[in-house]
Amino acid sequence: MNAIEIRNLTKYYGKSRGIIDVSFDVKQGEIFGFIGPNGAGKSTTIRILLALIYPTSGSATIFGKDSIKYAPEVMKDVGYLPSEVFYYDGMKVIDLLRYSASFYKKDCSKRIKELSEAMDLDLTKKIDDLSFGNKKKVGIVQGLLHEPKLIILDEPTSGLDPLMQQKFFELLEHENKKGATILLSSHVLSEVQRLCNRVAIIKEGKIIKLEAMNALNEENFKRFKIDVAADIPKNYFQFDGVNDLQVKGKTHSFLFKGNINEITQKLAGIKISNLWVDEPDLEEIFMHYYSKEE
Amino acid sequence: MNIYLQELRAYRRFTIIWTVSLVGLVLLYLSMYPAIGKDAESFIKVLEGYPKEVREALGMHLESITSLLGFYSFTFTMITLFGAIQAMIIGTGIVSKEVRERTADFLMTKPVSRTRIMTEKLLAAASTIVFTNVIFLTTASIMANTVKTTEFDGGVFFMMTVTLFFVQLMFLAMGVMLSVILPKMKSVLPISLGVVFGFFAIAAFGATSGDEPMRYLTPLKYFDTAYIMKNGQFETPFVVTGVLVVATAITISYFVYKKKNIHAV
Repeated sequence: MNAIEIRNLTKYYGKSRGIIDVSFDVKQGEIFGFIGPNGAGKSTTIRILLALIYPTSGSATIFGKDSIKYAPEVMKDVGYLPSEVFYYDGMKVIDLLRYSASFYKKDCSKRIKELSEAMDLDLTKKIDDLSFGNKKKVGIVQGLLHEPKLIILDEPTSGLDPLMQQKFFELLEHENKKGATILLSSHVLSEVQRLCNRVAIIKEGKIIKLEAMNALNEENFKRFKIDVAADIPKNYFQFDGVNDLQVKGKTHSFLFKGNINEITQKLAGIKISNLWVDEPDLEEIFMHYYSKEE
Repeated sequence: MNIYLQELRAYRRFTIIWTVSLVGLVLLYLSMYPAIGKDAESFIKVLEGYPKEVREALGMHLESITSLLGFYSFTFTMITLFGAIQAMIIGTGIVSKEVRERTADFLMTKPVSRTRIMTEKLLAAASTIVFTNVIFLTTASIMANTVKTTEFDGGVFFMMTVTLFFVQLMFLAMGVMLSVILPKMKSVLPISLGVVFGFFAIAAFGATSGDEPMRYLTPLKYFDTAYIMKNGQFETPFVVTGVLVVATAITISYFVYKKKNIHAV
């Protein structure tokens, strides 16, 4: 049984498109990344999964049960960490966490203590008095205190300092090792790169790519940067397999996928003063997928 | 019942302030009664100076206003007005605040059905109204017995007082219904005041024009304290209408809330 199965999910807001025909599965125990630009439909998809909004057509199941029809039951095993957290006026952190725990039929007091210690969260403070980052921590503890089998995160690390981000990743990886499935929506590609096994890329409401993380990394792109000794034509390196060619003075840079001998042959024909070759990070691959669709 | 308790806690200060205010109002009014009772004739002469329309609109019935129950009945125009505002504010607020204060993403992703959320919130709001009315009834009775000049019918007094509870229930139900139907409610106060004063205007207009059917349009006038005083009972058609108003508003609220899309902040 898959943790999440989404089939032809479509949502229109009046006439404007939310998402169109979105389908993908999230397997149990995997960490799945869901990436896309603003307005692509990430939040829409997630909000339908959480039964906050209703689809125009299509279906979604969580652990085999229809996520809309059986929402109250399904949510017992789901932890949701929204990107921006808001809580009730005048509540202390511990009050909110206890209130959250009261919805699950289990004793979460030990977990609350463990998690808040791990995240360095002061339980006695009033939530109104906390900084954005600390409020975020409340959201993290709140989402994990009932040991959910599925964790859904929306822009999880915005607002956290790098040290806390590390602790948070370790926490997530620890939960994942214990068997939790994680669905993570983000624009911060480094966190997607660090955590995810598989990734779905969504743009303008449609899934444009569904790929395993290492396949995406191994897309055999290489980034070249060449300083030439004497000026050469601006389109010298413009041919099949070359992307994003940029020429600044004597420096030519581009991404290349294909038979690398084509590049070495081109290089052999000119005099160069410097050469850099490395693997692009996900950000550049990502941008490539966007510009390709233009 | 965790949501129920949470809501009671959240509305504690609001309820206490309104209860104290309503109690303060009735005590203030009743404290004026001895002076009026003593000098009934000159008081009536002063009131005769008001135009008839104004007296009708404010519920001033000259033939009874100098008796305790008559005076109490007159005060109820104001009391039900304020009581309706209290109920309307909590009605329009208690469900919609989750969206306004952006806590909907927290509460509505918990393993709890929207039906249960609505039920616990309605019960919490109703409980605050019950609390207000119990305190009100107790203090008003004590005060009435303190300032009375002659004995009065305790049963009628009770019936008159309980009209506050019925009016508040109706406005609570209508408030909740409005809050789930309207797509976005930025602030609860303007709409609450607007609706209540709107009904008050209809009531005042209806009273001056003597148009009976118009009473059905304004819940503030479903329970006429003057009638209760005269006849010792409620008017059945209006009781039925009141029950229908509450039942319909609540049913619609459940339906709409269940199907509503809760958008991101």
